[in-house]
Amino acid sequence: MKIHWKVLLGVLLVLLVSTMAFSYERDESFVFGGGLWGAPTNWNPLTPWAEVAGTGGLVYEFLFHYYPLTDEYQPWLAEKGEWVTPKVYELELRKDVKWTDGKSFTAEDVVFTFEVARNNALHYSNVWTWVTSVEALSPTKVRFTFGDNPHYQEWKIMLYDLRIIPKHIWADMSPEEYLTTANRNPVGTGPYMADSTGQDRMVWVRNDDWWGNDVFGQPKPKNLVNLVIYNNNVALGMLMKRELDLSNFFIPGVPKIKDTFGLTTWFQDAPYMIPENVALLFLNTTKGAMQDEPFRRALAFAIDPDMIAERVFEYQVEVANPAGLLGEGWMKYYDEEVAAEHGFGYDPETAAKMLDENGFVDADGDGWRDDKDGNAMKFEIIVPNGWTDWMESIKIIANNLKAVGINAVPSFPDYGIYMDQIQNGTFDMCINNFGSSRSTTPFSYWNWVANDEIDGEIVTDGNYSRYNDPELFTLIDEFNIMQDSDKGIMDKVSQIQAKLLEAMPSIPLWYNGLWAQMTTDVWTNWPTETNPTGYPCCWAGKMQFGFIEMLIELE
Amino acid sequence: MKKYLGKKIFIYLITFFFAVTIDWAIPRFMPGDPIQMLLSRFQGMEGGREIIEAQITASFGLDRPLLEQYFNFWGSLFKGDLGTSIYAFPEPVMNIIQQAIIFDILLLVPSILLSWIVGNKLGAFSGVNKKADKYTMPFFYFLTSSPYFWFAVVVVFFFGVQLPWFPINSAYSSMMRPGFNFAFIVDFLHHWFLPFLTLFLVQLGGWAIGMRNMIIYEMGSNYSKYMESLGASEKLIRKYAFRNGVLPQVTGLAIRLGNIVAGALTTQIVFSYPGLGYVLLKGILNQDYFLVQGCFLFIVIFVLLANFLVDIVYMFIDPRVRFSYSGEV
Amino acid sequence: MAKSEFWKKHENLYFAVTNGKVIFGLIIFMSILALAIFGPMFAKYDYEEFAGPGYMPPSKDFWFGTTLMGKDVFTRVVYGLRSTFVVGFVGGTIATFVGLIIGFLAGYYSGKLTDEVLMMITNIFLVIPTLALLIILSAYLPYRGILSQSIIIGLTAWTWTARAVRSQTMSLKNQEFVNLSRISAAPVTKIIAEDIAANMFSYVFMVYIIQFTGTILAAVSLEFLGLGPTQGISLGLVMQNAVNWNAIQLGLWWWAILPGLLLTILIVSLYFINTGLDEVFNPRLREM
Repeated sequence: MKIHWKVLLGVLLVLLVSTMAFSYERDESFVFGGGLWGAPTNWNPLTPWAEVAGTGGLVYEFLFHYYPLTDEYQPWLAEKGEWVTPKVYELELRKDVKWTDGKSFTAEDVVFTFEVARNNALHYSNVWTWVTSVEALSPTKVRFTFGDNPHYQEWKIMLYDLRIIPKHIWADMSPEEYLTTANRNPVGTGPYMADSTGQDRMVWVRNDDWWGNDVFGQPKPKNLVNLVIYNNNVALGMLMKRELDLSNFFIPGVPKIKDTFGLTTWFQDAPYMIPENVALLFLNTTKGAMQDEPFRRALAFAIDPDMIAERVFEYQVEVANPAGLLGEGWMKYYDEEVAAEHGFGYDPETAAKMLDENGFVDADGDGWRDDKDGNAMKFEIIVPNGWTDWMESIKIIANNLKAVGINAVPSFPDYGIYMDQIQNGTFDMCINNFGSSRSTTPFSYWNWVANDEIDGEIVTDGNYSRYNDPELFTLIDEFNIMQDSDKGIMDKVSQIQAKLLEAMPSIPLWYNGLWAQMTTDVWTNWPTETNPTGYPCCWAGKMQFGFIEMLIELE
Repeated sequence: MKKYLGKKIFIYLITFFFAVTIDWAIPRFMPGDPIQMLLSRFQGMEGGREIIEAQITASFGLDRPLLEQYFNFWGSLFKGDLGTSIYAFPEPVMNIIQQAIIFDILLLVPSILLSWIVGNKLGAFSGVNKKADKYTMPFFYFLTSSPYFWFAVVVVFFFGVQLPWFPINSAYSSMMRPGFNFAFIVDFLHHWFLPFLTLFLVQLGGWAIGMRNMIIYEMGSNYSKYMESLGASEKLIRKYAFRNGVLPQVTGLAIRLGNIVAGALTTQIVFSYPGLGYVLLKGILNQDYFLVQGCFLFIVIFVLLANFLVDIVYMFIDPRVRFSYSGEV
Repeated sequence: MAKSEFWKKHENLYFAVTNGKVIFGLIIFMSILALAIFGPMFAKYDYEEFAGPGYMPPSKDFWFGTTLMGKDVFTRVVYGLRSTFVVGFVGGTIATFVGLIIGFLAGYYSGKLTDEVLMMITNIFLVIPTLALLIILSAYLPYRGILSQSIIIGLTAWTWTARAVRSQTMSLKNQEFVNLSRISAAPVTKIIAEDIAANMFSYVFMVYIIQFTGTILAAVSLEFLGLGPTQGISLGLVMQNAVNWNAIQLGLWWWAILPGLLLTILIVSLYFINTGLDEVFNPRLREM
């Protein structure tokens, strides 16, 4: 009997110790999901599209942070930056910043980050077509000299979007490695360091020597546990069990259950989420009737985005304005007059009238409108299979189009085929939002929906409509080389908006949200509308928008 | 007996050969281009595109003649190389599958064995007890008619949501680190129970019905009547009937294995349980050809091995192994 | 009870139509079939239409409640049932047909090369897990329809039928009437069709029922995995939607559970018919 007691006691002890160790860890950990879609395998800051979320932001830092809700810059690695002449920009860097291997961060590192793109084909190499030199004036001072047409708008993005890398490590690598290294042990200047990884998680551990502790305060969580969660059901299940602190998933039913389950969202009521990007319906302007401007405009009038917001998203999204602009950074250029004059809204009668007037009538009496030459028209609207909210949305769009006599069918090819079709231009209509995230300048949006890179075999980024209007491209380029203080800038942006609305190569429909649901069992003082202390977004490449600030303010 | 086993092994080998050939052929002769697909994930990159493209083509071997690709496929297969996953690039498919398959085994083996044993006992009981049979038989039919994933939904709804007794997804809590300690095992079992219960109950119905019918046949057979006329106790007759009924149930196991594995795949999806079924779904959604192929191959290997085991067991319990036996469903 | 001449001649049919299990099963099966055929006519809405507010439990207006978005679950289910029946009939017929042909041929030529080869193919298909094969086939078909789905399932599900039919044929072919036909030099197709198949009619019917259930189960599983038809509605898709849109967590049991329940009842009814018929044709079971 005595032995049995001992065994039982032993088992109990093990249980106690292990649960204690377990709960200790949870209290100091920040568990989140929604930004990691596969096992973590890549920490290379030179290939930001492939990096594990957090590589930029948590480890590699930026010169500035950008707060999209107020359109303000927060000096980060830079202490300040200014245009000393229209062609010269000077940065003053922070002192006492150290890389996590103990070396000091200096102006040389910033210079190297730019120089490396001059000699190698990196994603930001084209900066050298408008920058002529980058020099270190002192260990904390960098001077950028620009060519004839400084891309002022692009530069504004670059300041908060370029990951600064340590020269003493990357200078020794071979050029091939820049693109192919997985960079398993990233050395940065940031508040966290890469810790353990698993098939289903990436764990970051706090860098207690972070330079920002004295400047901004120390982030509260000791560990950041970023979980790979494949669908929103699991995320909801984990929120219900309080296993997640922050979920960045679109979860159907949140408005219905947020109070029962005690979930925090940015807005207490609709739209609950911060509008983050605009979802557009791209029309392939190289195909059939969609080559015709009035036809494309008629489509815009036929679609009812309110119904999508109501039914599919339960008001977790808002309907887009005709220009598709959102957020402080873009809205300061929104031209209400242009929108009133050239804009559109759900009005099927107007749509039908426009179609009638332009010769798109039912010539053969089969119930569907035909094109100007009397040929039957049939369109396919595509979104990737499994993207349930978009799948439902295009069903509504197809019905809206049917209501005005246009034969359109929703179709859900698998993701690969979807990408294939939009890149090769074989699609008719598709929903996409891959490059329409809020930023500091609408240039990023316009240069995405209407860039001139449509001559190649495939179109990889934006302008899936293949809308070709050199005049519009020129306007956007001219906007890029203007400063916000330039006199003619308002005129320029109005022209761009008017052109896009008249030509309607893509139709802005609704603002997809920054989906975020928070639980309050482990961490409180979440950033919300009434307590805007940060930006609850763990998506890759967006951590400089206030994620760190949120971690500092958590309680 | 040797001949019997030899013939079986031969069939399994041919099946394996056939499965591998299908596995190799399907992605190569179906529409869609895996490399373009992978590259679309690297969009936005200009100069580096060619480097990556060449590297991928080389490692997937798609630039060589078909026949050479086929032999290479076999070659790498024997080296345990199933290619590189596209969605979890550059993780080898083999690693992903190895991590998943342990969860399948922990779900499948106990549920198959237990449901077989319990199902046979219940079926035998039902077969000799007319009163109970009236109520149990429809119940067994209900269980065996349920699609696995639907039954999983029902179980989750009642025991995971309405009565929140069990977790409804994953194999263990997100903050747990897999290890051989008490807390983890308890947590694991807690997550394991509902998917296990689903598989166990749906399978149980089929075994019970099979055994019930067997017992009724056997009890009415000539030898039972003969034994009865000799004055043998009913218990003894039942025992003999059960023993004879077990044989077809063993072969039934071999025939049903494929279905059971398929059921486990869909059940795992409802529970987001990280076994092969879940991996397979991710592969399908992400058009990860190599992952889907790898899963298919492992499912086939698993079923073949299990079949082989059943054959060996059968040889031991039935010395008069015959080559031909008719399938029972 | 006096039996008429007709019933005496067709004793089995008599037992079949008086068997409680068969009657019970048939009634349920027919009601569900009627639901699939006539349900869409009675449905007040379109299956993609927003028929009312979301989250509505079953009521007078929405018999099976509404989905999260306000679609009518009843309408979706009856349309889905239609495609389920189509898949079951088409796929089941193909599977039974292929299984019968292979089984008859292998059984008739048992011991010969034809038999060996056919059985080899059968055994290979028998051990390959059908659903896995279906998954890999469907995963690479960019556009899928109900018909192609039925055909693929039918072409992979025939195996055990072939084996069972083969052994039945083997036992039948040595009976005297078959030998007689053979001596009279009747062609093989005629012998198989008239002497063997005709005598296995009841058996074939039961096989067909099982193939039917197998096919619809395989179909809903594929649909649930997202590998069903790319257009239209199906029961598996209704259930997949329910799971994807969190119907379980949100407590919408009418959406998550009812469609599958109907399907399960349908399959149970088929099992009842089959067991009943089994009793009819095997008198030993009838005594129970």
